[in-house]
Amino acid sequence: MTSVLASAQGGTRADDVVLDVRDLRTYFHVMDGTVRAVDGVDFQIRRSGRLALVGESGCGKSVTALTIMRLIDQPPGEIASGEVWFDGRDLLTLPADQMRAVRGGEIAMIFQEPMTSLNPVLTVGDQIGEAVKLHQHLRDREAFEAAVQALRDVGVPAPERRVKQYPHELSGGMRQRVMIAMALSCRPKLLIADEPTTALDVTIQRQILELIKEIQERTGTALLLITHDLGVVAETVDEVVVMYAGRIVETGTVEEVLLEPRHPYTRGLLSSIPSRGKRGQRLSVIKGVVPNPFRMPPGCKFEPRCPYAWETSVQGEPTCAQNEPELLSLGDGRASRCWLHDPRFTGRLRDYERPTAGAEEAR
Amino acid sequence: MAERTVAVTADLTPAELEQLLLERPDYEVQLESLNQWQLAWRRFRRHRLALAGAALFLALVAIAIIGPFFVHYDYYEIPHPDELVYAGRPPSWISGDWDPPLLMGETARLQRDILGLVVNGARLSLVIGVGATIISVVIGAVWGGVAGYFGGWLDSVMMRIVDSLLTLPILFLILVAGKFLGRGDWPSVMLIFGLFGWLGLSRLVRSLFLSLREEDFVDAARAVGVSDGRIILRHILPNTLSPIIVAATLSVAGVIIGEAFVSFLGFGVDITQPTWGNVLTSSLDFLQQGNWWWAFFPGFAIVLTVLGINFMGDGLRDALDPRARI
Repeated sequence: MTSVLASAQGGTRADDVVLDVRDLRTYFHVMDGTVRAVDGVDFQIRRSGRLALVGESGCGKSVTALTIMRLIDQPPGEIASGEVWFDGRDLLTLPADQMRAVRGGEIAMIFQEPMTSLNPVLTVGDQIGEAVKLHQHLRDREAFEAAVQALRDVGVPAPERRVKQYPHELSGGMRQRVMIAMALSCRPKLLIADEPTTALDVTIQRQILELIKEIQERTGTALLLITHDLGVVAETVDEVVVMYAGRIVETGTVEEVLLEPRHPYTRGLLSSIPSRGKRGQRLSVIKGVVPNPFRMPPGCKFEPRCPYAWETSVQGEPTCAQNEPELLSLGDGRASRCWLHDPRFTGRLRDYERPTAGAEEAR
Repeated sequence: MAERTVAVTADLTPAELEQLLLERPDYEVQLESLNQWQLAWRRFRRHRLALAGAALFLALVAIAIIGPFFVHYDYYEIPHPDELVYAGRPPSWISGDWDPPLLMGETARLQRDILGLVVNGARLSLVIGVGATIISVVIGAVWGGVAGYFGGWLDSVMMRIVDSLLTLPILFLILVAGKFLGRGDWPSVMLIFGLFGWLGLSRLVRSLFLSLREEDFVDAARAVGVSDGRIILRHILPNTLSPIIVAATLSVAGVIIGEAFVSFLGFGVDITQPTWGNVLTSSLDFLQQGNWWWAFFPGFAIVLTVLGINFMGDGLRDALDPRARI
């Protein structure tokens, strides 16, 4: 799979890549068995690149981010295999103290819930100041000034006053700005934003996204955006990795994936977005639910919900229900984990390219 | 239009504020933000019994500090070393004999001023109670914090140690330890109470850490690269302060009463030191002769102190509860 992606990324030279995740597998051993939350994920982010991990709840996107940061509790978690190359080092084998220097210093993270991600008993300035004290070895006075500057950079009004306030005195949007200020205070090379706008109301969402984008462009940090919101994806990133049940199902540039989705799952996601053009019609949904993590289908993980899945006809031919497809390169950096893109099934692919006909037939 | 600003503080309830704004629409309201401790103080001062308890406790502290300078006799002073009397004098305000003035009467045998004994007893009780509590809070917070934060096998081992220590009857353990380990001076009694008093507290702190370590802000701190030790001490511990303060307050009362108890039984502070428990013990022989004041005043001091501290602890519990409103 590594080779597929590496060749898919074609001209990218190794030193252009800030983060290279290879065959990452994170399992959780719990009472009822083992959950393969992340099961063989590969992707790369270029320096100053912007990539989104997309998928519904429980598909492993957040776990992927936490694994990169090595913030998985072990046990019950286990990083079963994989490499996370960041600036020439494999983060998964880095000693704990060096990893701490990477966290916050070189890779920063913004969490989903600004309401709970700030410590209620420390002032905003203390929390931002802690990051710069740790990584830039500033004194208290300098750290305080750095905190004020960081707040000013993210557009917090009256930063000199805000810096002395406690989180409960700030609104949700303000708190998320504080989180962003904290994340960016040490000029990280990679910013991981885990659903940064999900907990905010819609008007604030836009401001926060604009802010992240503006800062990303200004500072040249790379961005790994984790979201289930394809609208956010369209506005913010260049490349998209779609995940389903712990696996990557489709990759490509944002235009390609959103305008010409190849994998049935991505298609389903896109067609379930409500739009003005579809007023009065029933919302289209993906049938069924995410598979039970303890009883994953043996073949393609999306097969039980896939309108295009087919039963076998020829002896020895792979079937959706029994054989899991590889992530197949489609050229130009695109890849899709679907049998439809196997050369043997070009006939079926033709039906797929005529979506309405294919969908009707499948029903 | 007159520019007027109203700061909203404890002095105005939301209803009063609304009324005010109806009457004076030209007022501009500025919300005054209060920190955790200011909010807690607002709640505490509405709690009358707790205020009274705190006043009592502060009075005790004052007496322990400045009292010895005002009492008639120093506690170790024996006014008439060559004569032993077999009945102490009652308080002056009962007997009418004001030479010397005896607020709480005088002991039989050595004719010591009971006020002096009680005041110096307050000093010892307070030092032992607060000192032992500080020792047990430090041990209990670190032990419980480490166990709760790291969890896993470390937590199991540390908590099984606490469990097995808790199966021992602590008070008797303290009696035995007091007899064999301590030399009967107050620092060793304080140490013994401190070293055996942290078990319950460590369980409390562990349970708080178990839930707090799952909070997003702990993950956020780890994502910034903060070390485990710093997360425990700087990020989680301050969040547990409220329940720890309440437990510590109640523990001071517990140690004071426990110290009086073991001293009364003769296993605590050496009898030459006038702790409340010791004074009570020596009064026993003379109770039948009607020397009630010898036992009454130190006993009353214990009751008042423990009651005051417990009221204060209850008030703190309400005041520091983050779910409590105003």
